[in-house]
Amino acid sequence: MTLPLRIKAPLIFFPALLLSWECAVWLAGAAKIMPYPSGVALAAIRDIADGTLIDAIAGSLRRVITGFAVAALLGVPLGLLMGLVEPVRRALDPIVDSLRAIAPIAWIPLALLWLGIRGNAALFIVAYAAFFPFVLNTIQAVRLIDRKLVDAARALGASPLLVLRAVVVPGAVPTVMTGARIAMAFAWGSIIAAEMAIGIKVNPGGAATVGLGQLMVSTLYVKRDINGLVLYMLSIGLVSLAIDHGVRAFQRKATPWQR
Amino acid sequence: MRVMRPIARLAEFALALGILVILWHLLSVRVANATLLPSPLAVALAWVELLRTDLPADIAASLVHLGVGYGAGAALGLALAILCARSAVADAIVDPAMELLRPIGAIAWIPIAIVFFGIGRGVPMFLIFYASAFPIFVNTLAGVREVDRNLIAAARMLGASPRLVVTHVVLPAAMPLVLAGARLSLGVAWAAMVAAELTGADAGLGWRIFWYQEFFAMDKVMAVILTIGVFGYLLDLALRRLQAALTRWSADTRAEAA
Repeated sequence: MTLPLRIKAPLIFFPALLLSWECAVWLAGAAKIMPYPSGVALAAIRDIADGTLIDAIAGSLRRVITGFAVAALLGVPLGLLMGLVEPVRRALDPIVDSLRAIAPIAWIPLALLWLGIRGNAALFIVAYAAFFPFVLNTIQAVRLIDRKLVDAARALGASPLLVLRAVVVPGAVPTVMTGARIAMAFAWGSIIAAEMAIGIKVNPGGAATVGLGQLMVSTLYVKRDINGLVLYMLSIGLVSLAIDHGVRAFQRKATPWQR
Repeated sequence: MRVMRPIARLAEFALALGILVILWHLLSVRVANATLLPSPLAVALAWVELLRTDLPADIAASLVHLGVGYGAGAALGLALAILCARSAVADAIVDPAMELLRPIGAIAWIPIAIVFFGIGRGVPMFLIFYASAFPIFVNTLAGVREVDRNLIAAARMLGASPRLVVTHVVLPAAMPLVLAGARLSLGVAWAAMVAAELTGADAGLGWRIFWYQEFFAMDKVMAVILTIGVFGYLLDLALRRLQAALTRWSADTRAEAA
């Protein structure tokens, strides 16, 4: 039986790549300065067994979820306001756009000053990053609602409240949910950056490790464990995949009328 | 439809900005601590001073990072996408590799980049390169694949050479998506650049924030933050203009402009 190319080619290529990488590192005697697959696997066993990795991921995720919730609570109402009142949208659009252009991580010195190093500064960065997708997608959601559907419902005698509940909300929710998915991805990306920036500033001894970003900093500057760094990198990728799948699954459940 | 008068539009913006600045000023008076919350006036003065001293060099350094990293990233993304579109073997290998790497955000690479390049200008360049390759790759591949087969067949039937088909049918048809990818890339690259400069570089706007933070010069920190915002906005605006100019005929562009 011959496998299709789409399966066969990666099945040959990736193991070959890993194997030759491993061999190259050992042959060059570079195991101290280069990461290699078996070293990463060993680091994974070590960090999962002693709970370091899980604790760090849990610490980061907690802040991501809190920051995400704050962003939703502030972003969706602002988006509604801007979507429904045209002059407000025109006036605030450039301000939102230019604030959005500021990379969230740039706020780290002020966030540290205002909120301290115990995690609230990272929370601010996460909320800031997640805020804009909520605002933009809520504006879009409101503007995309089909006026004809609203008019039809009104003509058939629906009260404004019923129109809101039966037409406006179901029409807007899918777009807002897409915003939530983007917001979640931004939040996860920026928590790592924020924790790394805070960790470098505050934790030169690497004593108190509270999130994946701080763990990376202490691994980089204190333990100098390059295989560990690759492991944390891969973990970041895995968590963002898991988050995206989770949000998509929730989206399908919550808005079954979409597709 | 009523045409928006630019003056009315500007007035609305000025009003919103004015309210924002007044609120900021009142808050800074209430806080009464120039380190905790510098007043808008202090930030403006710091900005003017920085524009005469440090900022031009930092802006130039950041733009060099962006130019090198984004240029290389966009070129790689485009090249890989074209390779995938042309060869089934390349597609079977590159596509899953990109899908595996994509969830690992650029920021996750910072520590590794510091190990390999040292604290310096290699870190932001590498991060921008990495961050900008993916959106361009994904969008170009989608753009090339979604070209209407009938258009290609029609052009071929009318006697167009394969080369002419590429330059006059495939490329224009893929252009809106490619440019959308370029804009997406620039946004991601900008954020990655600031993070990389802040944590692993010795030049650029992000690094300058870190520098003034060491002196607790928060008015200057805010001036640099505002500079980052202004330049990020201007770069996006420039690409949006380019998008509108190059793909005036596209329904997507018109929808966005409306």
